[in-house]
Amino acid sequence: MLIMGEVRTGLLQNSAEIEERDHQAVLGLLAGERVRMSRRPIVYAVSPDLLTGVDCRLPSASRARIRGVGTVVSRSSITGGRVLQGSSYVRVTRGEVNYRLPWSHYLARPGVVEVLGKVSGPDVADGFLAFGAPGEHLDLGSVSDRFMDVVQESPVLDLRAPFRSNRTRLRWVAETGEPGVHFTLGEGQERTLKVTHQGEFSPAVVDLCEDLALHDWLLTTLLTIVQRARIGGASRPEVSARLAPAVDTLLHLWMPGARIHPSLAALWESLERTPGFSRQWQSLVERIRDQLAVNTLALLRETNG
Amino acid sequence: MLVFAISDKGGTGRSVTSSNIVYRRALQGQDVCYLDFDFGSPTVGAIFRVSTASRGTTKGGMHRYLEGEIPEPTRIDVWTESDRDAIRAKPAGAGQMVLLPGDEGGGEFATFDGEMLKRCVRLFAGLHEQFDLIMVDLSAGRSFAAHLALAATAQLPRIPARWLVFHRWTRQHIIAANGLVRGDHGLLDVGVEHGHDRDALIDRIRFVRTAVLELGSGDFAHLRPAQRSWLNEIDRELRELATRHGVGLTTMLGKVPLDPVLQWREQLISDDDVAGTEIANPETVFAFDDLAKKIVDDTAWEGL
Repeated sequence: MLIMGEVRTGLLQNSAEIEERDHQAVLGLLAGERVRMSRRPIVYAVSPDLLTGVDCRLPSASRARIRGVGTVVSRSSITGGRVLQGSSYVRVTRGEVNYRLPWSHYLARPGVVEVLGKVSGPDVADGFLAFGAPGEHLDLGSVSDRFMDVVQESPVLDLRAPFRSNRTRLRWVAETGEPGVHFTLGEGQERTLKVTHQGEFSPAVVDLCEDLALHDWLLTTLLTIVQRARIGGASRPEVSARLAPAVDTLLHLWMPGARIHPSLAALWESLERTPGFSRQWQSLVERIRDQLAVNTLALLRETNG
Repeated sequence: MLVFAISDKGGTGRSVTSSNIVYRRALQGQDVCYLDFDFGSPTVGAIFRVSTASRGTTKGGMHRYLEGEIPEPTRIDVWTESDRDAIRAKPAGAGQMVLLPGDEGGGEFATFDGEMLKRCVRLFAGLHEQFDLIMVDLSAGRSFAAHLALAATAQLPRIPARWLVFHRWTRQHIIAANGLVRGDHGLLDVGVEHGHDRDALIDRIRFVRTAVLELGSGDFAHLRPAQRSWLNEIDRELRELATRHGVGLTTMLGKVPLDPVLQWREQLISDDDVAGTEIANPETVFAFDDLAKKIVDDTAWEGL
């Protein structure tokens, strides 16, 4: 059995952090279902699980024609009233028959995609992580994206985000085995993650992938802001003005592993050793604060003549 | 911000001017993208010198996305994929510059339905998340692409949208530009049909004069006095005509001087074309820079 998913992460399109009470309206994608919230150590809200029916080809590294039928589980979440994520995943299993069954069969197995015919788990996993042309295969990213779009369309949001940013795309596969995690930074916005965990798959693995995607997005976005500020190239007030949105919006959101199940904490810790997310983040934050301090001092010197 | 580039007639330099505005804006540090909505002739790739999309893309472009055949249109990073060295060298501090090309062999839409409108709205909203400036190049004349853009912006009142109408400085072009905005089935009529407020929409429309001859410039030093006074007279008539047709100075956002480089080879004008090889005029770049700033400068768009 193979479990694979894609998390997309982006900035919620609002000028300020959204209030706690607005989360229900923004994330209430399913009528009658409550949005779950937690407040410590950071405000986090997640929509109810949503199902999307699919009947399509699955990705394959060997370009085999593999047909899968079933449902994708998705959810949207907002962290710190600022960062929006769309996350979808499926469990790929071998179907018992080689033809499509009535939908009731698949609806009784939420999040399972059954393959009609033969399938090799590693072949599908490699094809999935290769980011082929969109639209040809089961596209979990598009499903995640669509739920993010629905959230961004909410009339509660003013669409005046403090800065422009890209959505990152993190594709992950999980299997059972000796615990380990392997993260790669692809071209542009693409990232891949292979997780091996002990025991049966549990949604805690999805939490881990979402948490990693969140922090990778924070780091990617902060790096872009610092690059664009042209420290040393542009004038001091200009540099400060360009760094300001990072201070207002992003710096306080760094909380790696905040919602990770203790059984998976070791995996986060190994990512902290290599590639060392928090190390890079910390050095960027210090650089920003130093710049602002130096620029303020220069400004004070000027005004005092 | 969404900016729609439109003209009544072909050959106004709409695409080359709007491409250069996008380029200047990126150099000024903003994230920009350029959407080819000229479905019948998707050749914007040629201006950016992206050879894989000089006649539109084969990988799935704007047309196929709007038809619902592909989940997202192809994006081309101009800084890395342009064939011109001067463009590929992205300067420090410049923003993203992304081209969303049309489809090779695509055609004008005969109509559009609700699903296509939904996809267009979603596309604009998604791009607004990522880009400071979204330039949408619409084909010349009245087209369904323009209808679609008006319908989509009517559904996105929270995203600022502006319209640039390009025209040359001639009698015919002045009359045609006015007709495109205020005439039967013009932008205002169609906009109102799709739910825009007429007065609010008119405040979002400005004119850009292209291929303008500057009578005071040195180019005219060699003219005979009779020619010069004739040109002055014609220019005065055109200015009066423009004012009568609502295309006068108050509604003009800017003008682009006549430049041989733009006439003979539609291209992005890099600083090297001006300072290095000197094939382009500095006034042209100045005009593009000025337009790139005015597009987002609210004082240039205050209600009239």
